[in-house]
Amino acid sequence: MSADLHTLTGAYAAHALSDTERLAFERHLDACPACAQEVRELEATAARLGAAVAAPPPPELWDRIRAGTLVTRQLPPVAGRAERHRRARPRVPPLLAAAAALLVAVLSVTALNLGLLGRADRADRTAGLVAAVLAAPDARRVAALPGGTGQATVVVSRQRGRAVFVADGLPPAPAARTYQLWVVSRSGPRPAGLVEVAGEGPVTRLLDGPVTGNEQVAMTVERKGGSARPTSEPVVVVDLEA
Amino acid sequence: MALTWTRREPPQGLAQAPTDRPAGDDTLERLLALVARGDEQAFAELYQRVAAAVFGLVSKVVRNPAQSEEVTQEVFVELWRTAARFDPGRGTARSWIMTCAHRRAVDRVRSAESSARRDDLAGRRDQGRPYDEVAEQVETTLERERVRRSLDALTDLQREAVVLAYYGGHTHREIAELLGVPSGTVKTRLRDGLIRLRDHMAVDA
Repeated sequence: MSADLHTLTGAYAAHALSDTERLAFERHLDACPACAQEVRELEATAARLGAAVAAPPPPELWDRIRAGTLVTRQLPPVAGRAERHRRARPRVPPLLAAAAALLVAVLSVTALNLGLLGRADRADRTAGLVAAVLAAPDARRVAALPGGTGQATVVVSRQRGRAVFVADGLPPAPAARTYQLWVVSRSGPRPAGLVEVAGEGPVTRLLDGPVTGNEQVAMTVERKGGSARPTSEPVVVVDLEA
Repeated sequence: MALTWTRREPPQGLAQAPTDRPAGDDTLERLLALVARGDEQAFAELYQRVAAAVFGLVSKVVRNPAQSEEVTQEVFVELWRTAARFDPGRGTARSWIMTCAHRRAVDRVRSAESSARRDDLAGRRDQGRPYDEVAEQVETTLERERVRRSLDALTDLQREAVVLAYYGGHTHREIAELLGVPSGTVKTRLRDGLIRLRDHMAVDA
């Protein structure tokens, strides 16, 4: 069986195996340094075949990619031994990256419609603003201070004067409760919108009202419908000045 | 919860990304290491350096222009996300990036389009050699010339298997069907072919 497996290095490097065969071969790679070495070399060879058909992408693609990275959380450098050969092949595509790509695609289209139609409903306008913030040349991603719930960031553009809250891994709010965002300036907190958590995947929410980039953004748990003033300690704080 | 409403100083040393690095001549490996730490400037530079290679390869496999852009976007967002998982002990950054691009492109043509793809497979059977299509494109740069010479050094069956798998995104079973040979033969030709390419490119540097 193993003699047969040795001959699969080429098909593996060229991604020509079925999923079942690929998984079996990756198990073999963990135990066979000779094959692992050959795969490395053949992948490098294949990469040169790829470089030989290089073609410049359309210039606007970079803006979409940059917007995608702004709402995508990076993985920490873990990768234990057993994982080394398992190159995270997206049988289940990385949810966050896919969601981000989809979000940006949808938002771009919506933003376009907004421009063409001249008038649009509130949801469309919001989507257009989110896209405008994410694609702004001065868009900046600020991570939440440690100690908060989930993985939260705020993307802020001083140029647009708006900010977008992005969170991943937020548990649903308790029954009859909701998450509420606040923009905290020297004059104190003002309400900036409710955050609905529906199922898995990242949550994206345009903050109500303008921001200058010098505030803090906070999120609290409030009663359904939200409050005029925060009634509890924040579960997330993002310092835009940081 | 440790958070409070009071304003606080940002943690020392975490506020700013490092800016004391020379620009321009970083290796892809060094750029990836910086990207892994969230360095957006390094990511932009990485994009400049490899975007054409990634987009060209993805376009070759996916063929539909709009979908090629989508897949290229997925590839770069994925590189951003997983940069910390790059292991220099396992090969070069370029190889890692191109492997990721090829895998994504292949996944795309094998999932959503699987039915359309089968029709396409049937169509291609009557079309003759896919190598001509590649030969058209492999012409300008030195690297293209090298790759072309290396492909010419293969036997017909090796070359067809490599081209159909790598540029065509086909599985060994599909290739076996296309070429009318057993799939075991395709597997060994893929390996022989890539090994011969590797050796030829090393000599023809």
